[in-house]
Amino acid sequence: MIVSIKDIVKLFGISIMTCCAVTVCNLFLNYYLDLTAIADLNDNPYSQMFYDAQIMTAKVVCAVSGGCLAITTVVMLFFYIKHYIDSHSKEIGILKALGYSDFKIAKGFSVFGLSVFIGCMIGYLLSFVLMPQFYELQNEDGYLLELSIHFHWILFVLLVILPTVVFAVIAVCNSLLKLRQPCVNLLKGIVKARGKSKNIRDKKTFVAEMRSSVLRSRKTLVFFIAFSSFCFSAMIQMSASMKDLSSEMMGLMILIIGIVLAFTTLYIAVTTVIRSNQKNIAMMRVFGYDSADCKRSVLDGYRPAAYIGFVIGSVYQYALLRIMVDIVFAGVEGVPEYEFDFPVCFITLAVFIVVYEGIMFAYGQSMKRIPLKQIMSE
Amino acid sequence: MIEIKDLTKYYGKGESRFKALDGVSVRIEDGEFIVILGASGSGKSTFLNVISGLEPSDGGTVDYDSRQLDKLSEKELTKFRRDNTAYIFQQYYLLPHLNVEKNVRMGADLDNNKDYLKFIEAVGLSEKRKKFPAELSGGEQQRVAIARALAKNPKVLFLDEPTGALDEKTGRQVLDYIIKLQQEQGFTMIMVTHNGNIAETADRIIKMNSGKIVSVTENSA
Repeated sequence: MIVSIKDIVKLFGISIMTCCAVTVCNLFLNYYLDLTAIADLNDNPYSQMFYDAQIMTAKVVCAVSGGCLAITTVVMLFFYIKHYIDSHSKEIGILKALGYSDFKIAKGFSVFGLSVFIGCMIGYLLSFVLMPQFYELQNEDGYLLELSIHFHWILFVLLVILPTVVFAVIAVCNSLLKLRQPCVNLLKGIVKARGKSKNIRDKKTFVAEMRSSVLRSRKTLVFFIAFSSFCFSAMIQMSASMKDLSSEMMGLMILIIGIVLAFTTLYIAVTTVIRSNQKNIAMMRVFGYDSADCKRSVLDGYRPAAYIGFVIGSVYQYALLRIMVDIVFAGVEGVPEYEFDFPVCFITLAVFIVVYEGIMFAYGQSMKRIPLKQIMSE
Repeated sequence: MIEIKDLTKYYGKGESRFKALDGVSVRIEDGEFIVILGASGSGKSTFLNVISGLEPSDGGTVDYDSRQLDKLSEKELTKFRRDNTAYIFQQYYLLPHLNVEKNVRMGADLDNNKDYLKFIEAVGLSEKRKKFPAELSGGEQQRVAIARALAKNPKVLFLDEPTGALDEKTGRQVLDYIIKLQQEQGFTMIMVTHNGNIAETADRIIKMNSGKIVSVTENSA
């Protein structure tokens, strides 16, 4: 087996992502199923209106957060597999040279499904821990008298078993595609030539060219960096609004999920880009480029993506809450006015700039610690 | 001038600790071409790594024109490398996503050298300057590494088995390029090899064994 069980520890990003997705989805879906079970018991117009609004909320939250996190998890899984194959190309090349079929090697990648299972299972259990308080908050006015928590096995299958199987299959299929390259390329770790070869003299400096090249070689990371700042921006601003629109608990839950997702994704993206450029950084340092040059070459190219992610996150959270207030809760009494919160946005932006630039600076400094001799003697 | 005095280097810990360099002393004049010969494990690569500042020594000193290498801070060491040295390794270490020209600019930009294309021409790769490393043969890749190192106009060029991964004919060609350029530009060149045939072209041959210099031979030719 090319992928060992301990390798899935490195996929903790996927586990965290699926954990967050399943926690949110199970909270709302379980609530949705329990609500639909008491649909016939609503005998007054207030409780019917409240019931309809709650049903709509559950659907919107599941579709938006569950869908968004599921797509991100798939992208992350594809990225991990590509990265794993790139960094283990020699071992895979040896197996292919010995006569192992692509399918036999790819089968090993199904282990990646376990990381999804771990995340889903933790998320599923966590949602049941939070559920009593969640139900109480959702029904704090007591309109739905008969509402109680029930276990729905279908949700266990849909949110735990199915994602595990689907992601294991996706991992195998994706690996099969990636393994379709000549054995010698895997053994030598040959990197495909990229970019256009215009026959004119390049005007860009080496550092600028290196920055573009790093971006081109790891395009997926642009998505992760943007997603990380998107989560940071959207979830923090949304949590501030949620305090008024829903409850403090809801706000806190969104804040925690946002921060966990943002930092996990950023950590994965930045450590991956540094690890995959370790030899290039070492070579730059051997030649006399300092850590600021290395940071400019390897990390600074992602800055625009980070700030674009922040802007999209701000717009997204505003649009989502606007839809919730104007469409989902239209006609429901007691829903507070909602407007874009500029002070919160500016504070979040200021915190984001300090945190993002601080983290990038720290990673830039960490490049000094890459051992030159060890890299050169590999 | 490089003055190396009583250089020692240890590897490992406890019982597995061993002396890779054992009191090595030598003086290298500006513009000299030195070949360090020795069998595998003789300490020649460690010697090159230590005198080039790639790794610290455990004792002794390395002075470059009275600047002591182990007294330099990380920042000063980076500046020292930027202003003085260049390296050519057996495994080339070209940047795989950059074409030949951009790899050579890696060295050229450090010296603000706008005339870097002449180095690509000098190693005979003008026609392939838009090719990527994966599209070149081993010999061609090593020639790119040479052009990259020379484009920063180093005062000292370190070479660690530069022809080790090449066949004899290509290795000879690559070596001829390096020697021709060294003679034209007059930089100091320190080359580690286990190939005795290469040594005949050097000004001095330093033979190493068990971390010590066992002989220094002047080449009069």
